[in-house]
Amino acid sequence: MSRFVDLAKNPLLISSVAILALLIIGELVSPGFARGDQIVRLLTVSAILGIAAAGQNLVILGGREGIDLSIGAVISLGAVIAGNVMSGSDAAIPLAFAAACCAGFLIGLVNGLGVTYLRIPPLVMTLGMMGVIQGGLVVLSRGVPSGNAAPALMAFVNRSAFLGIPGILFVWAAIIVLMALMLKRTRFGWSIYAVGSNENAAILTGLPARRIRVLLYGLAGLFGGFTGVCVIGYTGNSFISVGDQYVLPSVIAVVIGGTSLAGGAGSYTGTALGAIALVLLQSVLTTLNLEFWGRQVIFGGTLLLLMLLYGRQARLRV
Amino acid sequence: MQPALRASDISKSFGAVHALDRARLTVERGEIHALLGANGCGKSTLCKIIAGTVGLDAGEVLIDGQLAALGSPNLAEEQGVALFYQELSLVPQLSLGENIFLGREPRDRLGFTDRAAIQRQTEALIDRVAAVAGKGFRPDARVSDLSPDQRQLAEILKVLARKPKIIIFDEATATLDRRQVEVFFDILRELKAEGVSSIFISHRMDEVFAIADRITVMRNGATVAEFAAAETDRYAVVYAMVGETGAIAASVRDHKPLEGDTRLVVKDARAARLGPVSFTAQRGEILGLGGLHGQGQKALLAGLFGAEPFQGGSVSLDGVDVTARRPADAMARRIAYVSGDRGRDSALPGRSILENTAIASLVRERRHVVPGAVFRERFTEVLAGLNTRYAGLDAPIGSLSGGNQQKVFISRWLSPAPGLLLLDDPTKGIDLGAKGDFYLLARKLADEGATVIIYSSEDSELLSLCDRVLVLNGGAITADLVGDRLTPFELTRASYGDAA
Repeated sequence: MSRFVDLAKNPLLISSVAILALLIIGELVSPGFARGDQIVRLLTVSAILGIAAAGQNLVILGGREGIDLSIGAVISLGAVIAGNVMSGSDAAIPLAFAAACCAGFLIGLVNGLGVTYLRIPPLVMTLGMMGVIQGGLVVLSRGVPSGNAAPALMAFVNRSAFLGIPGILFVWAAIIVLMALMLKRTRFGWSIYAVGSNENAAILTGLPARRIRVLLYGLAGLFGGFTGVCVIGYTGNSFISVGDQYVLPSVIAVVIGGTSLAGGAGSYTGTALGAIALVLLQSVLTTLNLEFWGRQVIFGGTLLLLMLLYGRQARLRV
Repeated sequence: MQPALRASDISKSFGAVHALDRARLTVERGEIHALLGANGCGKSTLCKIIAGTVGLDAGEVLIDGQLAALGSPNLAEEQGVALFYQELSLVPQLSLGENIFLGREPRDRLGFTDRAAIQRQTEALIDRVAAVAGKGFRPDARVSDLSPDQRQLAEILKVLARKPKIIIFDEATATLDRRQVEVFFDILRELKAEGVSSIFISHRMDEVFAIADRITVMRNGATVAEFAAAETDRYAVVYAMVGETGAIAASVRDHKPLEGDTRLVVKDARAARLGPVSFTAQRGEILGLGGLHGQGQKALLAGLFGAEPFQGGSVSLDGVDVTARRPADAMARRIAYVSGDRGRDSALPGRSILENTAIASLVRERRHVVPGAVFRERFTEVLAGLNTRYAGLDAPIGSLSGGNQQKVFISRWLSPAPGLLLLDDPTKGIDLGAKGDFYLLARKLADEGATVIIYSSEDSELLSLCDRVLVLNGGAITADLVGDRLTPFELTRASYGDAA
């Protein structure tokens, strides 16, 4: 019985079952939903959300109510920067990635410094940062969309690179493997869990907890910038609120994947599955012709339901 | 005439621990009554019962001859009992006056807080301590702007404002300097003249004999002696605190003679509420830190490890300066630290046993990649050496009992073995079997050349384990007990600041 309960509480299993169930529902409602090319399409959308959620995952794992609400604005910023750097030229793609990632990383570091050294609650710090970036984008672009994606970038995100699978999915697969290795097999990964689990104990084993936390926010920004470039590759051109739609889903994907909002427990593999499940859910709801606000209700409800499911984990006996 | 307070046959258990066993306490009207005893003798519990913050299992408390109902602090207060809080209970954002009258603000006719009355009454209270209050001690001063001493005074005024019949002062003078203690004593004498009784817990024998009329001594949860202060002396009081065993001057312990080199030299180490203290420790020595709770022992250990760096002074180990600014510095010098507060200082909840043990090795060995197989082999061996019972290295730390958890946390530091091992009340709350394993380990490490410094809240642990014990009182070392002088009697005496 208890083994069954344990299994039923395994986030990887829950996410996988949810993915299967949503595919079946989708196929029943709209035959062709689970066709090969449709699934590739859904996975591409999941990859973009998944990469954004990687950053969210890291700050949440780091504990102290870690969260990055500025991630949407950073994605928008990355997309705008990339669009302007590329202006349709393939040669500028590497530079676009570099510029967007650097900008995101720097903004993330500022978030991290504010949270760590000025002790501003992450929610407030990153919400404030979101406002600053959004305002800055309006001022800089005067609200007019500018820049557009290079053709090779659009092909990378949208068209088959190998066996009908676009390049971005290979990149995402590589990120999933690297994140798993990093979290499970490196000191940095172990430090993240340690700091998220009990910061004081982590410091007493010699870990530089503050520097680690600052770096986590920096990485979240970096992933946000990277996502921004992918987004403009997906849509072709950017507008200054293109990233907003990723804020809540990036958090929900992390939670579906079983990462504790208290920090210190979870995996990116779970988050990746969570991103896929969430995109499928979104897609099924669209297929059902549910309006935007209806979808919002279901999204928020899902988040709350998951918190109920996972939130009650046995406390440590000490 | 009835005594102001008569508590009789008070018993109280916390789980399997009998904190109080038929304890009693009688305090006459207008009397200053000192309540003494070693750590864990039950004096704080008894006070909390009288003040209503802890319930009792059996016994009765009479106030002015009337059976008192003591369910809550409010009830106790209504019956004239006030507790002076050792841990500060002030609200930093409010003014001095608002704090003093918090929850009992004088009202004007419309039911609003009468600020003028607060001002007036607070000023009257401040007048009593004007001599020592220092600058800025005004009714409208924000508590967050007051110095630590002034906050302590504010705490006293807060109690006085309730015009109680019986006041319990638990370590009221702990943070006061000599002049402030004098003022505090003046206040106590003034209260006495007004017929107010005081129960006074102190860790300084000097103070007890300077101010107390009578003394009650507790041991192991029971009241063992009552004295009139004028008719007794320090020896009799310490003797009562220690009990029969204290009569045995030299113990039968087989202490290793101290040999070898001086390894650790601490000079003028200072921290908040500590020192400056200076001492040395030998290679192969188990050095105990004794004394009552909160006399600077923890600050000393945390300072040596760099967890709360010293504000001054120097530390050297084997001739090398090891004054640590942060734990990583200390770890690089093979200094290890194990806290008794496992939940706060050691446990990584939700993480595996392997992670909980191996995390420090990653830092010390500057490894960036986790050598899984190496760690598994290493820590399986280390944990087996400590008789640890666990399901597997991948089981969560929370699946272990307290004693086995503590073995996991100490195993962090055993490979390679530490040169200086700092133990902060390490056996708190763990079972006897694990304690035994712990003592064996400490002795083995010392025999292999480590220096071990241990603070324990149990005197018996220090007496049975340590080669030498430094006794701290009010942040200073009051005794260095070794050989024939390492006895329960001397330890207790020095704990009360009474140097031989």
